[in-house]
Amino acid sequence: MAHILLVDDDQDLIEMNKTALTKHGHKISAAYSAEEARKVAKDNPPDLAVLDVMMEDKTAGFELARRLHEQTPNLPMIMLTGIRKEMNLNYSFAPDETWLPVTKFLEKPVNPRVLADEVDKLLAGKS
Amino acid sequence: MDILNVLVVDDEYGMRRGAERALRDIVLHLPDINGEVRFEIRTAATGKELEEKLAAGPTDILLLDHKLPDITGLEILDRIGKSSLDLLTIMITAYASLETAVSATRRGAYDFLAKPFTPEELRGAVRKAARHLLLQRQARRLAEEKRQVRFQFTSVLAHEMKSPISAIEGYLQMVKERSIGNSLESYDHMLDRCLIRIEGMRKLIADLLDLTSIESGQRQRSLATVDLADVVRGTVENVKGEAQKRDISIDLEVPDGLMLQADRTEIEMILNNLVSNAVKYNRDHGGVRVSASFIGDEIQIQVQDTGIGMTPEESIRLFNDFSRIKNDKTRHILGSGLGLSTVKKLAMLYEGDVTVKSQPDVGSTFTVRLKNQPSVANAQQSTGSNAVLIFS
Repeated sequence: MAHILLVDDDQDLIEMNKTALTKHGHKISAAYSAEEARKVAKDNPPDLAVLDVMMEDKTAGFELARRLHEQTPNLPMIMLTGIRKEMNLNYSFAPDETWLPVTKFLEKPVNPRVLADEVDKLLAGKS
Repeated sequence: MDILNVLVVDDEYGMRRGAERALRDIVLHLPDINGEVRFEIRTAATGKELEEKLAAGPTDILLLDHKLPDITGLEILDRIGKSSLDLLTIMITAYASLETAVSATRRGAYDFLAKPFTPEELRGAVRKAARHLLLQRQARRLAEEKRQVRFQFTSVLAHEMKSPISAIEGYLQMVKERSIGNSLESYDHMLDRCLIRIEGMRKLIADLLDLTSIESGQRQRSLATVDLADVVRGTVENVKGEAQKRDISIDLEVPDGLMLQADRTEIEMILNNLVSNAVKYNRDHGGVRVSASFIGDEIQIQVQDTGIGMTPEESIRLFNDFSRIKNDKTRHILGSGLGLSTVKKLAMLYEGDVTVKSQPDVGSTFTVRLKNQPSVANAQQSTGSNAVLIFS
């Protein structure tokens, strides 16, 4: 069992992923904004975070990933995104100015069961 | 300030110096198009030199002598015509023959200046060309801005459409995979959420059509005398079910006989948006008050609620496209984020506006001010004074 932080401004996405992850035996914290997520992560550090990109603004998730990484350097993060193509957003895994400390990207829509499997895989790899 | 690059081409040194002096260090003011421009001057004495200078950097205005030692001005025009669309040529000639003017214009010269001319005449011709170029630049900037706005709008719209699809798809996958067991009842909540998200999409599409029909100007407006009390009653009827369910009272203070020269559908859109918001964002057992009156020649409609309210920062961005205040209190409320931006655009059609006063957890008051439509100006005076009479 692990503590998973779900960050998404869509309550249904939170709800379904929570259902799937709970079924996999995890404990879930939910945050609907980047700001809330940072607070939750500080008060009760998660073992893994699942982030949406577009929240307060179109790249709020990117900034959040960097901040969470500062807070907890080894925190594995999964980023859910459906906007790379249409928004021409640049990011890379290389440590430059576009770098994101994210372990895995999943293109939306993500089947909640697939997300839960990915979470388990990442957690297994870590331990 | 804009800068225009002028290239003076003449084999006479005196001409080149004179033109340079006439244009250097001056700032042209074009108040009618809100423009200010100064000039960077370069000169060339021969056709060969001209080609080199053209290749070396941007040129906006070409002051071109009709006769050069190695080439004629008309031949140069022919060459330029093929390579540059943004260059305006003012042809300079020693003898003002109509024939030269016509052939030069035919080959793309913008204007014509006959020798001898005063510095003032030269500046006049350059001013005309500068005005043309500045207008062209402004039009281009505007077109570019429009493209950007459209792109932004479409991007956000795409996101707003994809979110409910993702939600519905996710839930349906869970149902299909029997993710929480075989009992159908367990999935009721997921299916309810799917239906709610579909309803949200339908609302988004309806609001989008309203908004674009107003913005495009394509919608046929039918102006007539509209009885405001009648429209308000219809609007309230639409939200009555929802209001009763949540024990929200709706008070009307709209006197009969309050007449506005307007398009009825537009007034309905304004009121539907405001009144349905006042119910949606209210607390249970709360209240909504709709009032209207003439103030001077404007009709003022107020919709007041006892709802969740907003902070001043939230109020500021409320009337933008797709602006939704997202927090714990609004998360479960469906909205396209287009309703209030539509109200604002409609109010502008009536030379009016919409404003909001709000306090978190106390409520919001939206005020719309509208004028009788000016195309029926004759009716305005009498309708206005009648209404005031009835009201007093």
